[in-house]
Amino acid sequence: MGHTIAEKILGNHAGGKPATAGEIVVADVDFAMIHDARAGNALKMIEKLGAGQANFALPHVKRTALVLDHYSPPPNMEAANTHVAMREFAEKHGSPIYDVGDGICHQVLPEGGHLTCGDLVVGTDTHSTTYGAFNAFGTGVEGTDVSAVMMTGKLWFRVPDTIRIELNGPLQPGVWAKDVTLHMLSQLGAEGANYQALEYVGSGVSAMAIDDRMTLSNHAAELGAKAALLEADEKTFAWLKAHNAAAPKPVKADADATYTRRIVIDTAKLPPQVARQHHIDDVVGVNEVTNQKIQVALIGTCTNGRLDDIRQAAAILKGRKLAKGVRMIVTPASRAIYLAAMREGLFEILTAAGASVEAAGCGTCVNITGHYIAGDNQVVISSANRNFKGRLGNPNSEIWIGSAATVAASALTGFVTDARTVAGGDWRAAA
Amino acid sequence: MNIIKGSARVLGDEVSTDIHCSSKYLPGKDTAYIATVAFDQVSPGFAKAFKKGDVLVAGKNFGINSSREQAVHIMHQMGVAAIVAPSFGRQFFRNAINNGLAVIECDTSGISAGDAIEIDPSAGRVVVAARNITRAVPPLPAAVQALLAAGGLIPFLQKNPDWNLG
Repeated sequence: MGHTIAEKILGNHAGGKPATAGEIVVADVDFAMIHDARAGNALKMIEKLGAGQANFALPHVKRTALVLDHYSPPPNMEAANTHVAMREFAEKHGSPIYDVGDGICHQVLPEGGHLTCGDLVVGTDTHSTTYGAFNAFGTGVEGTDVSAVMMTGKLWFRVPDTIRIELNGPLQPGVWAKDVTLHMLSQLGAEGANYQALEYVGSGVSAMAIDDRMTLSNHAAELGAKAALLEADEKTFAWLKAHNAAAPKPVKADADATYTRRIVIDTAKLPPQVARQHHIDDVVGVNEVTNQKIQVALIGTCTNGRLDDIRQAAAILKGRKLAKGVRMIVTPASRAIYLAAMREGLFEILTAAGASVEAAGCGTCVNITGHYIAGDNQVVISSANRNFKGRLGNPNSEIWIGSAATVAASALTGFVTDARTVAGGDWRAAA
Repeated sequence: MNIIKGSARVLGDEVSTDIHCSSKYLPGKDTAYIATVAFDQVSPGFAKAFKKGDVLVAGKNFGINSSREQAVHIMHQMGVAAIVAPSFGRQFFRNAINNGLAVIECDTSGISAGDAIEIDPSAGRVVVAARNITRAVPPLPAAVQALLAAGGLIPFLQKNPDWNLG
């Protein structure tokens, strides 16, 4: 009886034998992360637990990163005080800390070399599935879980079932991993993979650059997935090595592993997709949308704020201006991406076109960050991951979700636009 | 685990606890305050009518999407004895167990507000006698029962630092 990647990684961390879906295991966690939208309560709880206890220890605190990304910079006093507490905690216990402007947790963890193939990583964020792009089991948990990891180095897991998704063929120019996930959302529905792990395989995955693979694993959170695992290849190893990660321990599924479902997507023929307002699984081909005006274009977040996203946007906007009445905000996912984009001259192109560039962080993903609040009747097109009513602070606004290519093409024309119809929309092929 | 008995209080499908049972969109408001207004937008007056020991009966994907564990603290404050729903958002499901609140996956069709409901988590049974409803559900795994019995993950680890989940 064979095993999936999820069963193997969890089993490897819980005694060594592969685990079986449905089983509950206690596993050794390699690395943990807590961000500023969750740290407040957790750090208070840890202080309370440790108060007056001579033998209270946090033996795994140095393998727990603290990331100040959601409130970057803090929009209110409460968040600012959480930041103060996080800095004090990191100083006292020696935890790695990523401060305001360093970037989004899911970008800075891999960039910081904190994980490698075969690892088990938890973070206080649903998009912790991102680490699956590096063949690591990454999953979202809460402050209590990360506290337990800091105290014991272990955590309990229900071993998930797995859906195997085969991506057949490289994506066309102008089509991105974002479009693959949006297509999957239209097929499975939001939460259609609830409790389950995904395994993405096939020539469509092999052809993707690491940036796009990270989108694929990240955006699986909208499908409700517990983890979204890719096999490792030479691209993975080269990226991890360049970021000083530990030696990879790649994990592959067995040929006779058990899956709850097998899905094949003809990615070579997939057109760009867009999620219409309010529902992330209300998805259509971008070319099916006509005369849909937009006023705001947002590029950023842990889903699509990476260098390739910004390069694609700049390729479309080079030497051009945003359509009249359109505002555009670009937020790189990390300081490293910010620096690279700046050195490549991408910010000059975007700024000249009429866009604004913000410091790295969660940025315009959700209103609580304080970076963008929509006005009444405004239509926003965003490369973020969620678009439910009121996500940007106003139930009387609309959020449409698409790739950075779709967002930039739409910013250029003022209408929801298929990037394949504008110059520069095929950037990846030209590069 | 003991049998849980209570009066049913009913919510619909796809209720996000981040939106309806947390301070995410009410910065500065504390748990005690939110316990008096939780779920008002999907069921006006829900929290005010909720009595200690009532059972929250919900539709599919209760606690969908991102889920703060503060929601479970608020529900403890409201006096929620257990939650029964056909499915839960993954993160909410985990948070409930980690914070000592029993979550039972069970078809909830036909159950109405005010119905006396009886849950046997160990045997895997949900009964609403007045409506002739007896539904078999997967019994909660022993490890989950151990966490719930301790009152959640941290109280469990304080007594069992070696993670002996049984």
